[in-house]
Amino acid sequence: MTIRDVMDGSTLALLNARMEGIARKMANTLHRTGRSGILTIARDFSCVILTAKHELLATAESLPIHVLRGPDIMARTMAENHKVLRRGDAYLHNSPYHGCTHPADHSILVPVIDDDGIHRFTVLAKAHQADCGNALPTTYMGAAKDVYAEGALIFPAVKIQHDNEHVMDIIRMCQMRIRVPEQWWGDYLATLGAARVGEREMLALGREVGWDRLESYTGQWFDYSERRMIDVIRAMPKGRVTRKSTHDPFPATPDEGVTITATVEVKPDEALIEVDMTDNPDNMENGLNLSEACALSAPMLAIFNSIDHTVPKNEGSFRRIRIHLRDGCIVGRPRHPTSCSAATTNIADRVANPVQAALAELADGLGQAETGALLPPSCGVVSGVHHGKPFVNEVYLGCTGGAGSPTQDGWLTILHAGNAGMCYQDSIEVDELRHPIFVHQRRLIPDSDGAGRFRGALGAYSEFAPVGCDIIVAYISDGNINPAQGTRGGLAGGCSAQYRKKRDGSLEPLPPCAEILIKADERMVSISAGGGGYGSPQERDVERVIRDVREGWVSRARAREVYGVVLSEALELDHAATQQLRLGQASLPKSRL
Amino acid sequence: MGLRFAVDTGGTFTDLMVSSDEGTLSIHKASTTPKDPVKGVIDALALAAKEAHQPLSDYLARGELLVHGTTHAINAIVTGSTARTAFLTTAGHPDTLVIREGGRMEPFNFTVAYPEPYVPRELTVEIPERIAVDGSIKTALDETETLRILELLKARGVEAIGVCFLWSVVNPVHEQRVGELIEKILPGIPYTLSHKINPSIREYRRAISTCIDASLKPIMGAYMRGLDQRLRDAGFTGRVLVITSQGGVMDAKDAAEAPVNLINSGPSMAPVAAKAYASHGREDTLIVGDTGGTTFDVSLVRKGRIPRTRETWLGQPFRSHMTGMPSVDVKSIGAGGGSIAYVDKGGLLHVGPISAGAMPGPVCYGRGGTRPTVTDAALVLGFIDPEFFLGGKMTLDRKGAVEALKREVADPLHMSVEAAAEAIMTLATEHMVQAIMDITVHQGIDPSEAIFVAGGGAAGLNCVAIGRRLRCRSVVVTEAAAALAASGALISDLSAHYQAMFHTRSDAFDRDGINHVLQTLSDRCTSFSKSAGAHALSSEIDWSCEARYIEQAWEIDVPLAISRFSDEADVKALEHAFHAMHQDKFAVSDPGAPIETVTWNAEIRCRISSGEPGRLRPDKRGLSLPSRSVRFLGSDFLDTPVYRFEAIAEGAVIDGPAMIESDFTSVVIDPGATAQRDKLGNLVIDLGDVE
Repeated sequence: MTIRDVMDGSTLALLNARMEGIARKMANTLHRTGRSGILTIARDFSCVILTAKHELLATAESLPIHVLRGPDIMARTMAENHKVLRRGDAYLHNSPYHGCTHPADHSILVPVIDDDGIHRFTVLAKAHQADCGNALPTTYMGAAKDVYAEGALIFPAVKIQHDNEHVMDIIRMCQMRIRVPEQWWGDYLATLGAARVGEREMLALGREVGWDRLESYTGQWFDYSERRMIDVIRAMPKGRVTRKSTHDPFPATPDEGVTITATVEVKPDEALIEVDMTDNPDNMENGLNLSEACALSAPMLAIFNSIDHTVPKNEGSFRRIRIHLRDGCIVGRPRHPTSCSAATTNIADRVANPVQAALAELADGLGQAETGALLPPSCGVVSGVHHGKPFVNEVYLGCTGGAGSPTQDGWLTILHAGNAGMCYQDSIEVDELRHPIFVHQRRLIPDSDGAGRFRGALGAYSEFAPVGCDIIVAYISDGNINPAQGTRGGLAGGCSAQYRKKRDGSLEPLPPCAEILIKADERMVSISAGGGGYGSPQERDVERVIRDVREGWVSRARAREVYGVVLSEALELDHAATQQLRLGQASLPKSRL
Repeated sequence: MGLRFAVDTGGTFTDLMVSSDEGTLSIHKASTTPKDPVKGVIDALALAAKEAHQPLSDYLARGELLVHGTTHAINAIVTGSTARTAFLTTAGHPDTLVIREGGRMEPFNFTVAYPEPYVPRELTVEIPERIAVDGSIKTALDETETLRILELLKARGVEAIGVCFLWSVVNPVHEQRVGELIEKILPGIPYTLSHKINPSIREYRRAISTCIDASLKPIMGAYMRGLDQRLRDAGFTGRVLVITSQGGVMDAKDAAEAPVNLINSGPSMAPVAAKAYASHGREDTLIVGDTGGTTFDVSLVRKGRIPRTRETWLGQPFRSHMTGMPSVDVKSIGAGGGSIAYVDKGGLLHVGPISAGAMPGPVCYGRGGTRPTVTDAALVLGFIDPEFFLGGKMTLDRKGAVEALKREVADPLHMSVEAAAEAIMTLATEHMVQAIMDITVHQGIDPSEAIFVAGGGAAGLNCVAIGRRLRCRSVVVTEAAAALAASGALISDLSAHYQAMFHTRSDAFDRDGINHVLQTLSDRCTSFSKSAGAHALSSEIDWSCEARYIEQAWEIDVPLAISRFSDEADVKALEHAFHAMHQDKFAVSDPGAPIETVTWNAEIRCRISSGEPGRLRPDKRGLSLPSRSVRFLGSDFLDTPVYRFEAIAEGAVIDGPAMIESDFTSVVIDPGATAQRDKLGNLVIDLGDVE
């Protein structure tokens, strides 16, 4: 036993900067070398460092739903399935039954083995694929009955490199199953490259600082993070709130949709936050089921969205959070062959949203409203054959929906709760250059905000058409019926919708979960959901309301009816009328839409 | 040859560097006067005239050239004093400036507002028109409606107009026509067309460049005219040039026509100076750090070339707007002498990004600052002589610094004040190192193969520590390090950058199309060298092409050795250069794969100076200063010899531990490192054995 080296707050800060720097270097490498649009344009990937005990240590700026929980389970699976880990190994992992988010998130794990052959850390790079070999050309198989109907190859931590050489059998299997093999190969190399960069840097750091000292650092860094979390929770009000959020009806769901129930309990005396997700339906015969990683990460990201953002997110702060799950539950541990094809978005958001809205109900200044639901056709997977060549990729043509928070309006380009706005939005010109599509319109929709003291972001309208061929647009658009709810008196955001715009200009409503063939003379119309509001709209700063009206985000009528702000045609404020209206409405019981 | 002046207006100081008739240099610093920056320029010139014992008008009459770096453009944006600007966009796409390109930093931080569009939506107008990807007209421009809209904008008192239509880079006919209509309806109102200011794809980047440019035209036009007039009134008759974001200089009146190029005027010169002073071979790679009071700017010279980026942000990444223009790649972080150190509730030390700024500044300045900063830590460690700060012009309060450090850092961390000061320097150094690694990994540079060039007033405090942490080959502190940008401005080239978009693939290469584009660019360069560059000593064109693998999304900038593709071998050479550059930057390449080209760049550089860096006036003061006690990183307090930078003879070697001080900076030479003065006056520091 070595005597535990007690580090002061400056050494910890220094080593933390080094660790985060390594995770960031991995991410920078992946972003700049990836081949597909989904990685290099949309930035749909994450890079993390874990300890040898599979504890999450550093995440750089990853997608929250990708990394809070799951990487730990994946690393454990790697170690359990491969008793001897050697330098030069790399493992491909996309199994939702073993810690991965969903099968489209191909992850590369590289164990960091020191010069004495001891496993010290694991680096993990996870990247959403443009195609993962599903039965249909989409990575979100909302209607898949089970994993067999999904069709993707599942890799539960399968060795893909040995002595730094590719296991070509696995590579060839992927190339035989994935629709765009060259693109996959490019993305695989980028993901592997990122993990190898992380490995190289960790080896250098271990040699410089000493492995025992690094281990000592990780323990103390977790302790520091836990102390920060304890301080935060102790300052929160004690309480227990149950909130529900309903996912729209989809194939194989009950007719009324899927209602998710989250019970959040803050226990300041124990410095603990508990979330009970066990009171939810069993696994369904569709692709909406959550993987264990998503079932754990979704409530956790909602908690971290709701508190002091400077608390580090790692195994240490996680000790103060308990998420209760059950086996075989739609928000729990799925049983093989349950499909988790769309686990990162739809139901996951219906878990994160009520948790953060419940925390808001506990006290003003905490939590957030609900974020707009995903995945409308504007961020669907577009595929087809153009000039004899197949193409498939996810587009990001306007997905918004940020939730009102205690101090700010919703972040416009949040995409969805689990993504936190980290992904980029496409350039129209780049999309038109890369794909045979023509984008007629992309604009924000006035009055689609969830009104509030701090309002939700507006929804987005987009309209696009194929050029010289037909296209298939695959999407799974929740929020057609159930909008993003407000909290603390804030109102709900606008609903999503999707239509086929026919040649004559008429609009044909389309189902929310579908793969739609859009013919050369037709257009796809996509409406994304707005975000919910935080606090009563009557409390919204009048200047903000005036600015919203001036900018065209909110109509004059809505300013008056919902926000209680009376403006003349020239947008001058009628003080007296506004005061009267606001006083009058404030005395009415606040309805929670 | 007359006097040459380089004036760089910074946040706190206006630095003036004068190159005399014999080519020797002198540095002068005046306070920046934010309300009237030209006053700071004239003040600095007056200081130099006084030192030359001449009336200002006589002194200025000797001047042939004045190069100006200005923060006026970025300040106008930050303070919201740009013109009331309208944005004309393609119908159906009104929210290009609102949606931007997405992206966010700090995923769990919801306390930061989403940025307002650069041009408010109320002044954004959709124009009925649409060009397709192939340049064909999908919807013809509705001129009647456009005229109606322009009349409306006129009535609303618009002061400038930006026009950016989809695919105008492939077919500019609609933008051109709208430009004509603006001149007809709103004569005299400045406007910018996107295909002219930034002919590249990605509508947001082009639109933002366009709108920034238009919005700056009135204010920068007035500023340039005012500068010119007041210099003339003061007696200057020479040429007035301005530093651009691309690291070149332009005539002030031309710069006023395209002011978006002035956003990074100043910082872009640091790598130009570093290249001239510290690069011995053409292929050297330099990491350039410029440490000021509040920010640390990192830039690069990569194998003799200064890398460009199109992602220069006006504020924080993703929380502001980018300029979209190709500019010298400078990354800026909130770390400098003024960065505040504190311990959080969990017991963790933080240094920055909060800064004490110029006011109140560090505790030791005695201007009311109460929170300890990096400068206070440096003072406690003995890195700074409290009696000889800024050449003795200011005395520092050591006692105040010690008390603040004890209260805010040492006591909470249960350590001595000296150990706390060391911890602060170490952490500040690590933040700078991380900023350097972010930019080097993007450019595929291995810091251990690079030389670290330190500039700025606080450069010497930790340049050895940074160099050691990055395992750089060596560290160079130039003689005029405290005014690095100004020293670059004196030797920079008159330059203009022209670009055109032309999309083709290497496996179906449209040679005639490309050659036509290159010829057009070449003609524009020639025309520039015949007008602005008429009296230049020589001129050359740097060619480059932004290209990518077919499925990739982002282009990389590949230098071109030729200005015309004569045969298939030239195409192969471009492919080869692309693979090599890709391998260099990303450590991977796909040699069999075809590439596609997107943007073609020509930069004309006209040499207007010898290009040889000058030397400071010889200093007759003695070499040795009184020794003092200094605590180096990882050492105890050591009695340390102190030398005057200016008095060190060429070739003389100084072994660490030592302190080397000039009137503007102190350089810490840690134990084990050795410093040598080279023939350009640089201090070249060998880092010794790094563990």
